This record gives sequence, C-alpha cells and structure tokens, in this order.
Amino acid sequence: MDYFKMIPNDIPLPLPDGGLSFVEPVFHLLLVVAWVVHILFINVLLGASFGAVYFNSKGVKMKNPVFDRVGYLLTTPVTISENMGALWGVAPLLLVSVLFTPLFYAAAIMNSPHWLHIIYGNIAAFLLSYLYKFTWHTLEDRKSLHLVIGVISVALFFTLPPVFMATVQLYITPTTWTYDTHFWDALLRPDTFFRLMHFYFASFAVTGIFMLLYGFYKRKSADELDRQAGDVLVSTGKSWFLVPTVLNFFVGPLVLFSFPSYGLEAFFNSGYYWLILLSIVLALVMIYMLIKGFFNNDLSAKKVWTIVGLMLVVVMSMATLRHGMRLSLTGPAMAEAKAKSLDFQQRAQDAKLEAEAAAAAAPKVQMAQGEALATKHGCLACHSVDNKVVGPAYREVAKKGYDQAKIVALVAAPQPANWPGYTAMPPMPQVPAEDLKVIADWINSLK
Amino acid sequence: MFDFPIFDMPLVGHRLMFAFDAIVHVFISHGAAVGGSIILVLAQWFAIKNNDRKFDELAYKIFFTFFVLATAVGALTGIGIWIHVNIINPAAIGALLRVFFWKWFIEWIVFNLEMIFLLIWFLTWKARPLGTPGKKSHFKIGLYYAIASWLTMAIITAILGFMMTPGNWLASDFPTKPDYLASLMNPSWIPSLGFRTFFSVIWAASAAMMLSWFFTKQDEELRAQAMRFFGRILAACIIPMIVFGYWYYLQFPQAAKDLFTMGVITRRLIATPELATIVTVALALLSLASMLYLYFKPKKAAVWIALVMFIANAALISEFERVREFVRKPYIIYGYMYANGVRVQDMALLNKEGYLKNAAFVPEEYRNPTATTPPEIRIKTGEYLYQMQCRYCHTINGVNSVKARITNLGIQGNADALYQRIKGLNSAATPFMPPFAGTDEEMKALAAYLATLNAPPSQAAAAAKP
Repeated sequence: MDYFKMIPNDIPLPLPDGGLSFVEPVFHLLLVVAWVVHILFINVLLGASFGAVYFNSKGVKMKNPVFDRVGYLLTTPVTISENMGALWGVAPLLLVSVLFTPLFYAAAIMNSPHWLHIIYGNIAAFLLSYLYKFTWHTLEDRKSLHLVIGVISVALFFTLPPVFMATVQLYITPTTWTYDTHFWDALLRPDTFFRLMHFYFASFAVTGIFMLLYGFYKRKSADELDRQAGDVLVSTGKSWFLVPTVLNFFVGPLVLFSFPSYGLEAFFNSGYYWLILLSIVLALVMIYMLIKGFFNNDLSAKKVWTIVGLMLVVVMSMATLRHGMRLSLTGPAMAEAKAKSLDFQQRAQDAKLEAEAAAAAAPKVQMAQGEALATKHGCLACHSVDNKVVGPAYREVAKKGYDQAKIVALVAAPQPANWPGYTAMPPMPQVPAEDLKVIADWINSLK
Repeated sequence: MFDFPIFDMPLVGHRLMFAFDAIVHVFISHGAAVGGSIILVLAQWFAIKNNDRKFDELAYKIFFTFFVLATAVGALTGIGIWIHVNIINPAAIGALLRVFFWKWFIEWIVFNLEMIFLLIWFLTWKARPLGTPGKKSHFKIGLYYAIASWLTMAIITAILGFMMTPGNWLASDFPTKPDYLASLMNPSWIPSLGFRTFFSVIWAASAAMMLSWFFTKQDEELRAQAMRFFGRILAACIIPMIVFGYWYYLQFPQAAKDLFTMGVITRRLIATPELATIVTVALALLSLASMLYLYFKPKKAAVWIALVMFIANAALISEFERVREFVRKPYIIYGYMYANGVRVQDMALLNKEGYLKNAAFVPEEYRNPTATTPPEIRIKTGEYLYQMQCRYCHTINGVNSVKARITNLGIQGNADALYQRIKGLNSAATPFMPPFAGTDEEMKALAAYLATLNAPPSQAAAAAKP
C-alpha cells in the first residue's frame, strides 16, 4: 500500500501464541480490559489529586475544616490509584509492545527523549504526592508551603498524559511519519490535542462518579467531620460528572473526524460506530438520572450503583471502539511490516547458507601460521604488513632486528619510546607466549 | 537497529542513561522490596515473639522508608528499564518480549499481588498494634508480600540469565518453533537467582542497620538490639551468597570470563589487572569490618561507619551489575544478537547487500554509498551508520567518546587507518565490540564520517574523497 512512506520490519520471532489461533484474540481482549482498569485508576488519580489540592485551598480560604477533610480524604485514592494505575499500565504496555512492536517502538523513539518523562516525571510527581500526603498534619501551620507542594505534584501528574497521547497517536497513524517527526509535531496535531482534551474531561467525569461512591460510603462514617465531607463529595461528584460529560459530546466528534480517512472507512465498515451510539445513549441516561436528583443529596444505594454500572459499560464500550480504531488504522501497516519481515528473514537465511557454502568451497588460502595467529589475536586491527595503520608496518618492525624473545617481551610490555610519533600500544598479556613466538618469527621473516 | 528511527543521546550517551535508571532500580528493588520484605517480616516476627513494642515501631519506621522508595522509585524505575531499552535497543527488547511474554505476564500478575499485599501491610500496620488478635493475620500479609516480591525477582532473573546464557534456546528451531522452556531453564537462572536473593538480604540488612542508627538516636539499647538483629541476618547470608556467586560464575561463557577484569576496572587500567582484585577485596573488607564494628560496638559506632558499610555495599552491587553487563559484549543476547541490535544470522545478508538498503528510516539518497558517491552524501551516510551501529555505546564527545577513542589510537582524520580499524572491530584487540555490519563501501563511508570528527573542515572534505 502506498500510504506508508516508511514501515519497520516486525520482530523476527513468532507471536507468543503457541501456534494456537484463539490466543491472539485473547491478547486483544486482555489489552482492552487491562487498559480500562488502568485508565480508570489514572482518571481518579488526576481528578482526586486535583481535588485534594482544590479542597485544601478552599478549606484554607473559607476556614472550613470540612473542606480540609474532603481534601485529606482524597489523598487515599491518590495513593492507591497512582500505585495501581502504574501497575495496570504495565499489562497494556506489554501487550501493545508485543502486538504492535514495530509501530509502537518507532513512535516511542521519535518521541524521545520526551518519552522518558513518563518515568522521571512520574517519579517526581509520586514523591511529591507522598510528601503532600504525609505532611498534611505536620505542615498545618504552613499551609501555603503545603499547597505549593500539592500544586507541583498535580501539575506534574497532568504533564504525563500529553507524552502518552503523543506516542499513542503517532504509532496508530504511521501514514503521518516523516524522516524527522518529533515529539512536538505529534503533540501539537489536532487529533492529539482533542484526544487529550477528551481524556482530561473524562478524568473529571470518572472522578465525579468515584466521589459519588466515596461520599456515599463516608456518609456512614462514625466521625462527624467525615460524614459532612461525605456530603460535599456527593454534591461535588454530581457536577464533576455532568459538566465534563456534556463538553465531551462536542470534543468526541472532533477526535473521531481528525483520523486519516482510510482508518475511518475501515472503522465504519467494521460496525464500530454502534458502540459510539451505545456510549452516547448510556451517557445521556446517566445525565438524566443525575440532573433529576441534582438538588436531592439523599441518593439511594440502588441509584448510585446503577450509575456506577452504567459508567463501567460506557467506559468498556468506548475502550472497545478505541481498540477498533487502532486496528483499523494499524491493520495495513502491520500487514506490510510482517510481510517485509518474512521476506527479510528469508533473504538473510539464503545469504547465510550461500556464504557458508562459499566459505566451504573456497580454496584454502595458504597463510603463514604466524599471520594466521596475528589475525586471530587481533594484531592486524592496528598493524599491517606493508603500511602504517595505528602501529608501524610489520616490515618496519622486522627492520629493527629484534630477536624472538625480545618481540615476545615487547608485546607483553611495549616500549613506546622505540616508536616516536606512534600511538602507544596497549600491553597484550592475553596472547599466549607459544603463539607469540610463532608470530615473532613470522614478523622477522618479512625483512 | 536499521528497522527503527534514530534517537541519539548526546554527551551522556545511551549506556549511562540506561545504567542510571537500572542501578537505581537494583538498589531499591533488591533492597527495599525483595530483601527489605524478608528482613521486615523477620523483624515483625521478632517483635511479636518478644512482644517488643519499641522494636515493632522501629521496624515500621524502616518500612516507611522502604515503602516510599519501593512504590515511588523502585516500581517506576523497573518499568523505566523497559522504556529505556525500548528507545535504545528496540530489536532486543522486542525479541525478549516475544520469548518471555508469558513469563512476563505471570510476573505482572504476581507483581499485582505484591503491590496489593504491600499496600495492605503498610496501610494497616498501625491499626493492628502488638498484642491484638489482628496482628497475627497482619503478619501473614507481610509474609505473602515477601513471597510475591521474591517471585517477581525469580522471573525477571530468568530473563537476565537468558541474555547471558540462552542455552538450548539457541539450538532450537526459531522462528518456527523456538524452545520456550529452554529459554526459561537457561543455565544461569537458578545460580543467579540464589546469588541475587542472598545479596538482596545483605543489602537490605545493611540499609536497615544504617536507618536504625538514625531512628535510635535517643535509645542506645534499641540501637544495640537492632544492630545485633540485622547484623546476624546479614552475616548468615554471606557464605550462601559466595557459594551461589561462584556457581553463577561457572555458567558464564569463556569469552565472557575473559572480560571480567576489564569489566571491574576500565580499559585504560588494563595494564594493571591486579587492581580489579584489589578494588573488590578492599570494598568487601571495608564493608565487613564496618558491619562487625556496628555489631560488636553498637553504642560506640559513629554514623560514618554505618554510612561506609552502606556505600561499600552499594559500590559492590554497582560493580557486579557493570561486570555482568560488560562481559556479555559484544552481544545483547549471547550468540543471537549483537549489542547494536544486529542478529548474528543476518550478518551475511547485511555484508552482502548493505546495511542501509534495509534501513527504513534513512532517506533514500543515503542508502547506497558507492565509490562515486559525492563527499557530502558519503559523510552523511557515514553519520547514519555511526548513529545506527555505534551510538548504543558511544557518544561523539561525551561518555565513551568515539572522538577520544580515535585520538587515542592516533588515527584522527585518517580515513584509511579508520577503515582498517573498522574492518577488525570484533578482533582479539577489542573482543567486546560487535563486527561492523555492511558492505565495504559502507565501512568506507563510516570511516569518512569518523575522519571528519577530529579534522578541520577543509581536511574533512579531502578525507571523504574515495
């Protein structure tokens, strides 16, 4: 296909499917499921870490201990979701690296060194979020310092998705690659930008649902402050879900239509658009349920769990259609990479056999034993018989008239003073003395 | 590798960048997680047995430090190793992922359990004080954490062992039917696992001794108790570590054993190989002496003694990891793939057809150097070759600078001599360098490019003439 200017070879080893045809679909299923778990944790990580700082500052500003408690309560989901989010990111990374190796690794390299930010930026954000959490009470009298720590850690967490998004968009659109595509080219494209926006909005929406659940649970706490914080979480959760979800109805289509047309065509022909319709309908149902009870904070358990269930179905359906888009876009490129790789392996195998046959058939060149040993021990990397390379030509050495023992000694302990103007030779103690004697005689035979 | 785009890390170089992440990961995963979980479980067991509240509190303080390091730095630098290799040597990690996919997947499941046990053990430690019935079940969580933690290391060690000694996998029929069991049961897996297990405990115990010094400033009795407790664990692991270490050493290929001395010191000091032994023995004695002093005179020992022991151990671990990485050269997967991502079995094709002919990410005009290629194109072609075959280990003028290497040989600006040198890269003079992959004209293009590095521009153009 002419879409692709450049396609790397696939890895010349079989997929680890044991030769069983049903394993590859299992990989795809695992990829989607593990990715959903990962992204839910990451959504809550972004939303809750933001909320922990937001409510902390609100508590300071209004001198209200309830808001302070809401912020503090939100640090626990941050700790859990940063650990579990990173952990559950490993499985999708593993699967993508195996299923789409040439495309994914190529994109990661184009985005380097920025790609490394997902490690070092993450470590810094992680450590600061711990510092923020564990100094909540000790820095009670120095709130502004405490807030600065929180803000930096949240800001750092928010810098990680752009790096991921740029790499993901780049690897699923190999048609856009040029010989010098780099990170900023990928990040500043409309598809990356709108997807990033969609993701940030969704993070707040998912955190909203999480707050609803968390607040519902905290309202039953024995601690009065916790109960009040639970109320705040429930009412905040509703608006955090509603506003971004409505906005995403506008951003979503912008993402969809910024993909290359051959991918869109395959996407629609495979029927994935049904999942878009399903997601929209279910999201509308959730919006209706929450708006209906917007001013009534006494939600029933049944209603809360229905909303959580609906959200999981929406997220699962969106993850599946996202995977559908990935397959539609990468299918032709992966097919080409695999074909190229098979061809390369065949040619390599042929060339190897040919070279082996040629070596076996070639008449043995009669080489002096000394020369053969000099080759074997790497002497010819620096010396040649007639010309100066790094060290002097062997004919020049022969002219010095050293005897065999002297040459043997000099190889083990060279005397740079003998050869002004040449680079000093490193001692070669690893060459056995028996071999050296033969080499020395050969050198002296070159006079 | 020719299949991928090029990212050239200036000055620092790929090797050092990777080594930084990897060594931080080893320090923390071996110390705070694998060894740390074992000594903390023992410490908690000891506190429960003696109903010793102070010792329990000390163990928690050490745990707090280990927890923060293991989750924030240890886990992420572990993923970081993968991310680093992915941009340095995608061909190698791509191959490893295909050979070890299911082991990696199982490792990930165990890693999940490890993380869950860790979070529960840490977050509920204070809610289950000594003397309450909950403490016993809390102790069990710690035990499960230690087991899961060790299992993740067991699986990852198999991959490292495989890279050094692929064993019968190499003899199996790939790509059609690679022997996955052989790749797991490679000869150095079990010995290296034993070696790493015991040095992890030693390393964690020495970290715990150092931390205890800081956490017991007000309580000398507790300090003495802690030094004795952790010191005993440490001492018990020394002999098994040496035994496993020796068994592990026996598994290395002879060519790798020959490079050991150079791995300990650097090539520059190779004229005095005894330095390697001196450095290693001195570090070990320093560590042992400080440990014994802390053990026998805990109340008198100054903080610097604890620090010396800790730093000497850190240096020994770094030395081991460097040697292990160094002696594997010129390969990244022994006998299968060279350090620069070229498969051994592809050499014949690349030497015949040309390396650049297969380079998807090099513009067409630089893919076919011939005797009549104009100098600018020729030099640029050489630069691509440098970036694709040399930058794995070298930088132009930073760490392991190729410019300095050339100057040391005294052949700067001399394209003919450089060409001769490139021909013999994988000779006994530099057995750790992979051979150049490509045609004679490609070697000349690389030599022409390298000749421009140290030469003034006018000479550079002259050197590029065929």
